[in-house]
Amino acid sequence: MAAEVLTTPYYRVNVLTGTRAARVVDDPAEAAKIIAGAKNPLYVLGPDAVRLSAGDKLLIDYALDIAASRDIPICATAHVKRKLVEYGKKADSTYDIIEIVHFLKMPEWKGVRGQGQHDLVLFSGVRCDLAERGLSTLKHFAPHLRTFAICRRGHPNADYTVPVTARGDRWIEYLQGLVAALG
Amino acid sequence: MTGGKLKDESVRTIIRAEDDWEPIGPTPMPSVTDLRNWDLRLLDTYEPFYAPFCDLCCLCTYGKCDLTADRKGACGLNMASQQARMILLKCLMGTAAHGAHARHMIDFLIEKHGPEHPIDLGGQVNVESPIIRTVLGLKPRTLADLRKAVEYVEGEVIHLLSATHTGQEGDHRDFESKAFHAGMIDHVALEAADIAQIVGFGYPTSVADTPLVEIGWGAIDKTKPVIVVIGHNAITSNAIVDYLKEKGLYDQVEVAGICCTALDVTRYASFAKVVGPLSQQRFFLKTGIADVIVTDEQCVLTDIPELAKQTGSALIACSDKICYGLPNCSEEETEAVLARVLEQGEGVLLLEPKKAAEVAVKAALALAPRRDKSLLTAEEAAKLAAKCRGACEMCNQVCPNLLTVSAAVNAMRQGDAGPIGALFLRCIGCGACEQACPHHIPVQRLMQAGAVQEKYKLRSGRGPIHDVEIRKVGSPIVLGTIPGVVLFAGCSNFPEDIDDVAWLAEELARRKYIVTLSGCSAMAAAMHKDAEGKTIYEKYTPEFDAGCIVNVGSCVANAHVVGAAIKIANIFACLPNRANFELMADYILNRVGACGVVWGPYSQKALTIGTGAVRWGIPVVLGPHGSKYSRLFMSKKEHGDWRVMDGRTQQLVDTAEPTPEHMMIAVESKERALMTIIKQCFRRNDTPPGRAIKLNSYISVAKQVLNSLPDDLQNFVRTERDIPIVYKREVLAYLKEVGWQPKPTLSLPTVIGTYQTRVPIEATIKELPKK
Repeated sequence: MAAEVLTTPYYRVNVLTGTRAARVVDDPAEAAKIIAGAKNPLYVLGPDAVRLSAGDKLLIDYALDIAASRDIPICATAHVKRKLVEYGKKADSTYDIIEIVHFLKMPEWKGVRGQGQHDLVLFSGVRCDLAERGLSTLKHFAPHLRTFAICRRGHPNADYTVPVTARGDRWIEYLQGLVAALG
Repeated sequence: MTGGKLKDESVRTIIRAEDDWEPIGPTPMPSVTDLRNWDLRLLDTYEPFYAPFCDLCCLCTYGKCDLTADRKGACGLNMASQQARMILLKCLMGTAAHGAHARHMIDFLIEKHGPEHPIDLGGQVNVESPIIRTVLGLKPRTLADLRKAVEYVEGEVIHLLSATHTGQEGDHRDFESKAFHAGMIDHVALEAADIAQIVGFGYPTSVADTPLVEIGWGAIDKTKPVIVVIGHNAITSNAIVDYLKEKGLYDQVEVAGICCTALDVTRYASFAKVVGPLSQQRFFLKTGIADVIVTDEQCVLTDIPELAKQTGSALIACSDKICYGLPNCSEEETEAVLARVLEQGEGVLLLEPKKAAEVAVKAALALAPRRDKSLLTAEEAAKLAAKCRGACEMCNQVCPNLLTVSAAVNAMRQGDAGPIGALFLRCIGCGACEQACPHHIPVQRLMQAGAVQEKYKLRSGRGPIHDVEIRKVGSPIVLGTIPGVVLFAGCSNFPEDIDDVAWLAEELARRKYIVTLSGCSAMAAAMHKDAEGKTIYEKYTPEFDAGCIVNVGSCVANAHVVGAAIKIANIFACLPNRANFELMADYILNRVGACGVVWGPYSQKALTIGTGAVRWGIPVVLGPHGSKYSRLFMSKKEHGDWRVMDGRTQQLVDTAEPTPEHMMIAVESKERALMTIIKQCFRRNDTPPGRAIKLNSYISVAKQVLNSLPDDLQNFVRTERDIPIVYKREVLAYLKEVGWQPKPTLSLPTVIGTYQTRVPIEATIKELPKK
């Protein structure tokens, strides 16, 4: 059976008008495999990661756990760096969201740690309509990398997306499952 | 095909080549490709960034064509070219809207005053039309001359639109060059329209301290007959004011506006009021406070006939652009039209302003006593929301501003109007939530119970920046000691609260930026009071000077801020602007720290204005909705090629500094917007003291927003003299840590000479004879 794809996410403004849709990754263990299989991943964090909670934690707390599990570099867009400073952590880049997407579409770019262009880019906490536009850019103009939207609202223009997850408890389960699977 | 001797002769006649106010530059009335090399030079540094909104092309019957990734359509266009083609189309929509507006305004005023009606903007404004002078090479003296400018725009639009047909242009950069052209001629139309209405209606000019007028839906006295005017073309609104004055009724009838017509009618009569920006259009019309709705053109809801029927408001449409399927009653007797409106409840199309004015006033006087204008109470709202359980979230899913509508409606159900009131301040007014609700809950009507009925003070639009102001600020702007000129323009598709524009404007004004505003942004900026109950228009001096805040006027008045940048080159630096686009744009790009901000972008017109600004060398910062335009202009930052010519030595110099960093960028949060705006005002020409002042702002905001120094500080410190004293020790330590190297400082940076152009590099330092 073909993998499920997402054409209609939570926010209708992001409905797909095209033919190539994101593969839905229902199982956090599979999500962990995708992440673990990347050679040079990047995690892009937007300001909703410090605004939105997932249970008694912020979304950024889970994101930082995911990043820490594989030493994934972080691009802190908008004003996310402020929270990282508060946590005593360093961002590898503070390019803003459009800037990082601009560089990600250049195959020759050396990445945020100068180790070469990234092969998998995770996105969390970027305003959903803006994130979808950035994912569209990468879908069309960055064939050299894959994208994974770690967002409960779902993103059709990503290569991989979390399914639309209306219930907060399921979302927390997903995040916890992903962190656990990454080990 | 244009060009050649015939065109030259025709152009010379149109611009009165014999007038010797300045020598004629290389590009009088430029055609589509005349400024192409300038455009391509800009695009070398600032690459188009595309974020496709749609992966298909559905424009011809070869398709639908799927352009995903590296696929091409049947015509051969790839995704980048198709995106650029759509951008050109959207820009042309904007240019056409402003151009048609200007044409209508000028034709109307020529009919009223005659073609020889003089262009006189008062004693403070001698360079009356910097954009028309620069683009066309014409110094307009009369309304007939303004018509020439619009005729030029009309001619160019045909060629540009032609290029979007299938089987025409195929390269994305050339599409962008054409979009730049559309943007530039749009500015010609803006300037022509605003100058025409200033001289034709006697709007304020050469005055900075224009009246403070009332804004806010709470400002409207609903005990009086209320006429609400909506749109951008105030001809009929002004006729209503004239009629009320003529009949001595101006204190008995409320005239209130939504969108730019509101701004322009308050320039005509300060007793007129402003309801608010276009985001409040649907909400306000649903209150039923308007006894009569008068629509003109642009940004007017297209379902107003239905809304008017629901509330029992009379509707008079006054523009050939928006006929709504209504009967054209322009030739009928006034009493017959009134009978249709009052007895039959019909909406009418009236294209004759005086008749429309008389019908509007008489209808309002007759209807007001009959109508119940009471607003929804909290109890009534709770009943209407009774079926909501806050669980289906259909309203949330369709909200284009990603708002949690369901929680507010559910709170209303329980009698708590607070959340719906907060929602009102973020709502963009599309009504999608109501359509999606399975229980048909009238969400926007519920807001009546929670929206604060506040009134605020807005300074009415003042039109052109004065020449004397330019003489005063030209030097500090170019040296960098006034850190920047920021224009907040455009619509009210704000990502968060409506008062974020006020926050941004004030943060900049208190750091001594010159802050200018226009259109719905100017209105939104008024909708915040400080602890003492004052808006920014009451707190800050309305001059074009450091730390001041100026409302230039409606959308068409945006021209005056671009015009101010040109005037700095022309009046302060004494460079000739006549038919000298590249020279002016190069000066602005390298030496005038100006930045345009469209925090709530929605319209094609806003895209066009922004695209035009980029061609002039003015970077643009957009709110997050701006990413839906699907095209931005981004540099490679510190990895880019930042070589420019030193105009004095005529040597190519690698400045190694990305300024201005991007020419069009969308940002997500107001905090990041503030940082970005400040950075976009850096210019290569900044003197060390000027750069230190700019860096002082940049660092202080970074500390406020990020709680740290900016991570790209090393890109903008050229020598140690650039470092603000207050941060010197900390910055030096940081620069050492990141391995910073000094960069060259140029006093006359220019990109002239780095691409093929008819402008000699000597022109960048040639001065006009001082008169």
